[in-house]
Amino acid sequence: MTDTSISRRGFLGAALALSAAAATGCTPGVKGASSSGASVDANASKPAQLHMLYATAEANSAAVQALLPAFKDKFGIELVMDTQPYDALQQKVFSEFASQSTYYDIVIVDTPWAPALVAQLEPLSQHIGNSALNDMADVDVKDFIPKVFYDTAVYNAGDPIKHFPDEASPADVAAITGAGFDIYGLPLQANAQIMAYRKDLFTDSGELAGFKSKTGKDLAVPKTWDEFVTVSQYFTRPDKKLYGTTVMAGVGDWATDDFKSMLAAYGGQGRLIGDDLSLAFKSPEGTAALQRYVDLINKYKVTPPGSTAASWDEAASLFDSGTTALTMNYHALELDDAVKGEIGYAVVPQEKTRGPHFGTWMLSVNKYGGNRAWAYRAITWLTASQQQLTMTGKQLHPSRTSVYKQVTSAQNKSEAEFYRVLGDSLAVGVGRARLTNYTEVSAAIAKAVNSAATGSAAPDAALNTAADQVRKLLTDAGYKVPG
Amino acid sequence: MATVTAAPVTTPPSVRKGPRAKPLPVIGRIAVWIYLLLCMVPLVFMVATSFKPSGIAKQLPPAWIFKPTFSHYVQVLQGGSGTSVGFDRLLFNSAAVTIGSTLLTIALAVPAAYALSLRAFRPRKGLSSWILSTYMFPPIVAVIPIFIYAGKLGLIDTYPVLIVPYAAFNLPIAVWILRSSILQIPYEIQESAMVDGASRWMVLRKIILPLLTPSIATVAILSAILSWNEFLFALSLTRAAAKTAPVGIQEFTGMFGTDWGNLTAAATIIAAPIVIMTLILRRRIVSGMTFGAVK
Amino acid sequence: MTDTLAAKPSPTVTEKPEGYGLRPRRERKGETLVPWVLMTPTLVLLALMTIMPTIYLLRASVRNDTLLNTNGRFVGLANYSNALTDPTFWHSLLITIGFVVVAVALEMLLGMALSLPLAGERLSSTWGTTLLLLPFAITPVVSAMIFKELLNPNYGWVDYYLGQLGLPAHIEWLSHPTTAWIALIGLDVWQWTPFVALILIAGLQSLPGEPREAAAIDGASTWQMFWHVTLPQLKPFIAIALVLRTIQAFKTFDYFKVMTGGGPGDSTEILNLAIYRIALQSFRIGAAAAIAILLLILLSLLVPALLRGVGRNADPEEA
Repeated sequence: MTDTSISRRGFLGAALALSAAAATGCTPGVKGASSSGASVDANASKPAQLHMLYATAEANSAAVQALLPAFKDKFGIELVMDTQPYDALQQKVFSEFASQSTYYDIVIVDTPWAPALVAQLEPLSQHIGNSALNDMADVDVKDFIPKVFYDTAVYNAGDPIKHFPDEASPADVAAITGAGFDIYGLPLQANAQIMAYRKDLFTDSGELAGFKSKTGKDLAVPKTWDEFVTVSQYFTRPDKKLYGTTVMAGVGDWATDDFKSMLAAYGGQGRLIGDDLSLAFKSPEGTAALQRYVDLINKYKVTPPGSTAASWDEAASLFDSGTTALTMNYHALELDDAVKGEIGYAVVPQEKTRGPHFGTWMLSVNKYGGNRAWAYRAITWLTASQQQLTMTGKQLHPSRTSVYKQVTSAQNKSEAEFYRVLGDSLAVGVGRARLTNYTEVSAAIAKAVNSAATGSAAPDAALNTAADQVRKLLTDAGYKVPG
Repeated sequence: MATVTAAPVTTPPSVRKGPRAKPLPVIGRIAVWIYLLLCMVPLVFMVATSFKPSGIAKQLPPAWIFKPTFSHYVQVLQGGSGTSVGFDRLLFNSAAVTIGSTLLTIALAVPAAYALSLRAFRPRKGLSSWILSTYMFPPIVAVIPIFIYAGKLGLIDTYPVLIVPYAAFNLPIAVWILRSSILQIPYEIQESAMVDGASRWMVLRKIILPLLTPSIATVAILSAILSWNEFLFALSLTRAAAKTAPVGIQEFTGMFGTDWGNLTAAATIIAAPIVIMTLILRRRIVSGMTFGAVK
Repeated sequence: MTDTLAAKPSPTVTEKPEGYGLRPRRERKGETLVPWVLMTPTLVLLALMTIMPTIYLLRASVRNDTLLNTNGRFVGLANYSNALTDPTFWHSLLITIGFVVVAVALEMLLGMALSLPLAGERLSSTWGTTLLLLPFAITPVVSAMIFKELLNPNYGWVDYYLGQLGLPAHIEWLSHPTTAWIALIGLDVWQWTPFVALILIAGLQSLPGEPREAAAIDGASTWQMFWHVTLPQLKPFIAIALVLRTIQAFKTFDYFKVMTGGGPGDSTEILNLAIYRIALQSFRIGAAAAIAILLLILLSLLVPALLRGVGRNADPEEA
């Protein structure tokens, strides 16, 4: 311990040096900051490495990691992937952009973050038209599923909450830029809410007979919410540790996603907030939808215990362990070995209509990065038709129409079924409202859903409380809420 | 009234160490051990699950007889399957940052604690309070300006960018504990040394420091654990080169079905060095010299 | 015999260490510099890490900047008044204070109870202390996940074994406010009692032996020994543990995020969750800074009150 005097002086010196540097504000400078306004040089020299910030299982990082060797072969560049789970990723993405760091060339962006980040992302419309930059892959924007493309990647920099008017026709760069919008990334992993069920239970002769005798109808995959309730009730056998379905009524944006899908099914505005910033979720459809949702838990009692604290993780675990016969989720599931069963997929049931929640990740180019030309080439290659097809081998959710065509006629029948259902769901899917503080709005609504689910508030009262909170949140963020 | 053997005036070392004259009643000791063993349940879950093959992790009744597997540990240490960096690298970074910040904390706290114990040093009350007030700073908002300025200085993803904040976090704890320990040392010892011509520096080095060993060991353990498990600053201020283990373990907390085998294996790997360090330093905490010898 | 002990506090039992009251007659001129030199590295480091963020936060709290868009304007005290007139802010503040009070009280009592037997030098104490520290060594987020899994009503160990023992089972722990709070406080106590105990063990280790010896000669019982001799001497360390643990408890975040996310409803929405959402998910730095500064003000009023509450003798130098 008598050596502390030496180390003390050493550290004292370091501390003084550091504080002196900070005080004088002398900065070694941010490395290689290229002015973001300058046009991208297609002939820029090839870097040895490109850095990409990516998610984990939410965006199927395993699929992309499997492509890295092929990327190196094709480009001669090492693509270094840093992965983080959702919350940590969001924090990292925002802090990197806030300090205008040049470190990450490619950044993955989730749709709700995009309105706040638009100014930091490189607009791609010019690059798409530049043939010199499209020499590594065919970007073919028309091939992206239109709804997915517009919802995820197309924004108006001057007014980020606006949606592109025509979301049905295939993407056309001229039309997009003509309307004052631009393209800020290329979509990769498209998630939509789909229904999964235990095919073995639905085809078991004993179950078919039992259902017929109990209800007089044939056991089939439910197409409407009433049918869904009947089937769930049939399969709810607490003593055998089997329940009808899962719900994610814990406090978090999974509850908001559950609710908005139900709201859309009842004919309400699935985006929760109207384009004119009206509080569309506070409506007769909203109350009816929330009532149906909580009835599943409290009236029909078809959900396992703990559903009012459940999130994605619990829902997936419950279905995988064979505790429920049905589930709503966003990923392909895998039953545990102990459960000898088979999974089937179907589009979510309808009430008046269907509007399953969907959300997509996109790969964007860091506006402050020093290798934007090669970053652009990289994302065109990663999201290209051939690569997406390869990645479906690891259950990637493609964003291109051509890939769906190929993968729904694949040999593996259950995989083909999954992709067919996913494609159909994306076609009717409803995205989120575009707000810079979407996370807070979603949290307020999730609280309302949870309060109603636990029975501590009636659906109408809960939505009223949420409406007051959301109104305040939107006003604080600078939006003008009508009424 | 029980007779206590009259201890000689020159106090034998053993009397210092806790109320040995009347040991705690058996019931008290049993209660303590019941509490400690109950606290082990989550840890047993953690270690047991890390060795269970993936399929049976969630089984009820919990599977106690199973064929243990190292596959989770291998997977965690090597990386892959969705995570970007192998744990071996992350553990090394964590160790470097923890050791660095703990040494820095002790090196700074010992002199500061001594200074704050000197009656002649008039500003000491104000400074003690100020030091404690720095501890109140909420890290969630503090991280943003620090990230921005560290970025401007080009220090992101280096060891010092974590070592310095961690030392700042732990200094208030260290200074206050050490200060109280120093104040327990009878002043006569210092006085007699200074009468013999020793300077303050020598008093600090030769007299105070040896007597402070148990407290320094305590401070070392606390600082090390707090630095080892720190997450928020590590996440914000590192990318790949200096990424630490708590940031890495987050990647196992999946949104769509957590892989409990890998997660618990990673958690056990992270906890292991702390356990070893505690075992080593524990002997230091109890050893310690008696004040009686000076008499 | 007991009266003798209480009525006649021997000089060696006093909390004020002798000698520290002596006037430093022998101080040389250069001696006054020595404490400053000893303090400087610490002061520099702490100033570096806190003064700059404080200035940044104060500035941010009177503007409405977001992290990315620095087109914010000066808005005066709008962020503060927004927070103070928001009922959810007060709700969060109240339940945070409630959590801190209950959790810290439990940890202090348990920590004290554990430190006494473990401070001795027996072999069992070595193992006991190691076991004691293990919960503290686990990464907080992982601890929260493990607790959540153990409490799962479908396949958690707690549910299963409670059922086996015939106790009420099938409790949906995180779905009801009361049981959710029990789970959260239990987790906090499980993980942080070792922190308190370790500080108190350090304190017990450094106590001089003479007072105890004198009391033993006077024939004091275990309880009297504890209450009249050990406890007063331990006060400085009790104060440290109490103050540090209180400040830390106000900063709790991970457990609540992982276990309940603020639910059910907003019954566990502590202040830090709101700050996190505003600062690191919506990135409204101005609003978050205002709340953080309000919290800082609260703490700087609370901590001195706590110190005074432990007793005039919490600081060994106070007369």
